[in-house]
Amino acid sequence: MVTPLMLDKVMKQFGEKTAVNEISLQVEAGEIYGLLGANGAGKTTTMRMVLGLIYPDDGRILYHGKPFSKELQGGMGYLPEERGLYPKVKVSDQIKYLAKLRGMTEAEAEKSLRYWLDRFEVPEYYDKRIEELSKGNQQKMGFIAAVVHKPKILILDEAFSGLDPVNVELLKATVKELRDEGTSILFSTHRMEHVEELCRNITILDRSNTVLQGNLRDIKKRYPREEILLYTTGEVNGLELLDGVERVERKERGYSIRISDVAVAKSILRKAMDESEVEHFEIKEPTLNQIFIREVGEVHE
Amino acid sequence: MNKLSNVIGFTFKNKVKTKSFLITTLVLALLLTIGIHVPYFIDKFSGQESGPVSIGLVYSDYPELANSLEKHHGKLAVSGLKLTKYEQTDGQLAKDLESGKIAGYLQFVKANEESFPEVDYISKKDSIKGEVQTELQAALQSVKTEFITKGSLTDAQVAELNAPVAINVQKLSAQDGAEASKDDNDFSPVDFAVMYALIILLFMTIMMTGNMIAAEVTAEKSSRIMEILITSTSPLTQMFGKIIGMFLIGLLQIFIFVGVVVINLSLPYNQESLKGYSLDFSQMDPAVLILGLVYFILGYFLYATLFAAVGSLVSRTEELGQAVMPITMLSLAAFYIGSFSMSAPDSILMKVSNYVPFFSPITMIVRMGIGTPKSWEIIISIVVLLISIYVFGWLSAKIYRTGVLLYGKRPTFKELRKAMKAYKI
Repeated sequence: MVTPLMLDKVMKQFGEKTAVNEISLQVEAGEIYGLLGANGAGKTTTMRMVLGLIYPDDGRILYHGKPFSKELQGGMGYLPEERGLYPKVKVSDQIKYLAKLRGMTEAEAEKSLRYWLDRFEVPEYYDKRIEELSKGNQQKMGFIAAVVHKPKILILDEAFSGLDPVNVELLKATVKELRDEGTSILFSTHRMEHVEELCRNITILDRSNTVLQGNLRDIKKRYPREEILLYTTGEVNGLELLDGVERVERKERGYSIRISDVAVAKSILRKAMDESEVEHFEIKEPTLNQIFIREVGEVHE
Repeated sequence: MNKLSNVIGFTFKNKVKTKSFLITTLVLALLLTIGIHVPYFIDKFSGQESGPVSIGLVYSDYPELANSLEKHHGKLAVSGLKLTKYEQTDGQLAKDLESGKIAGYLQFVKANEESFPEVDYISKKDSIKGEVQTELQAALQSVKTEFITKGSLTDAQVAELNAPVAINVQKLSAQDGAEASKDDNDFSPVDFAVMYALIILLFMTIMMTGNMIAAEVTAEKSSRIMEILITSTSPLTQMFGKIIGMFLIGLLQIFIFVGVVVINLSLPYNQESLKGYSLDFSQMDPAVLILGLVYFILGYFLYATLFAAVGSLVSRTEELGQAVMPITMLSLAAFYIGSFSMSAPDSILMKVSNYVPFFSPITMIVRMGIGTPKSWEIIISIVVLLISIYVFGWLSAKIYRTGVLLYGKRPTFKELRKAMKAYKI
């Protein structure tokens, strides 16, 4: 099976400034690929290149093994970061228009739009104008506009920003559903918890360069586990005296312990069990947030 | 092709539905209707309001002159004036003037012995009504002629003396006689009126639809739907879809206006009052109309591409007015060259303008209507126009392609060139 989307050492320069420096990545069918980075790191430029809006200066982008062509546009869906629809045009008119521009027939577009409106439980928006909807609902319509034509490759730029938790869950569930149907999704966000939940592979960009790339679980393994969460009924004293413990923080129900060596975990647990009753013991893996700040934050300093 | 028709359809459908379009079309149609009715209203008001004005005529010192005036005035077929005889400027006269029975009175005032006396018109108002004055003047002129010649001329001679000298305008053409006489026919008032209507229509349509195109493009950019659009179709398809869609809007509007004009003109009472203006549409040369249409379409596309390009450069609607200014100026210049040269359609300025692509659509229509352009001039001008449409269309497409992705402040030409290079367009 050919990879639906492959970037091979793609580079883009705007005048003197390098916007994207030799990024390579692959998105498989049925995968959500996370593209992370601080503002101005080159995420949007990368996405625009994938969409064929701007052409890379160097490197290749292959879609199912083939280079970009106009016919591919119908197979791609895009939800831009600053999303927009015609404010004064009816939802049905403009979404069907966009669907038809991407090669659907009127009947298919109608059916697909109805399906999606039902999916989001807002069939009554069919005849509403965009300006009549709340911001969150406008965003849902923008999402529908991006997926209405059943794209093989879906590009979501900050898909969940500005939504309330209920709608975030709804959209997340939808994205997962699309993934399970075999769509390749390139996904960018600042919200690390979404990435941890959705993505298998990630790339972290920092000022045009790829700083970290790979399988999310592998990446996490590469980072030492540095934190232990311990909840006990009584007090445990002298934890900070153990070898490999850096800092002990008293929490509401127990302790948060920074360690430099994972081997010390055993002795911490033993000591805790000796002195009190253990309610909860966890060697926490580093959150993506921490990794991100470590990788990107440090360079900025 | 399918996508193009899609864009055209969407542009057309949404524009037709907007309130602004409905209102402008309605208002303009209403203005047209009123404009066509103006002659009728003038007839109506001037006919009803006045009736003959009553004016007193004082006989006292010059009874023979007063008699002669009454005689000459009596000869007129139509008159808006009734003369009433008074012997003296006495109490009766003052009373009648006061009561409004007469609007004023005429009096001959002695100057010196031999010459014609001065004529005073005395009334309570400062002025004298235009038609009344003309009528009185004509009658008095005859009285004066009679007074001076004192019967030494026959009536026929006097009439001859009073008739104005007519100048018959004839044009010497290089072609043979038959052609020359036909050419003379071309200078009919209909052609003049139609030319004027055509260039106003052309100018208005270009300005209105052009501004709509630019505004739409900017709105799409500022609402960020542009990013979704350009990932769905090529910018070129979008630009031309929009231009053609707007063109259809413009055509629809023109058809509505023409329809309004035709309906209004065919109303029976309007035909009556318009007869005086000798508008006969059968006099019109169909070739002028067809070529006019060709120029209209070409001119529209030339300007429309520019408007689209400018619209794509601007991120916010507020900045648009300033940005389209150069194009507005250009079309205004074309309009004024065309309309001011109507009296001299074959001047050097017009001939040069025929080869300037932005001016030729308007100036050539004028020249075809009331001037005599040679056919090779028309052909060259159309070719120049076609080439420039191609060049500017190509350039605009490039600008559009780049501009729609540039946000923030309006880019300078240098920034635009840089961006074009960067985007590899």
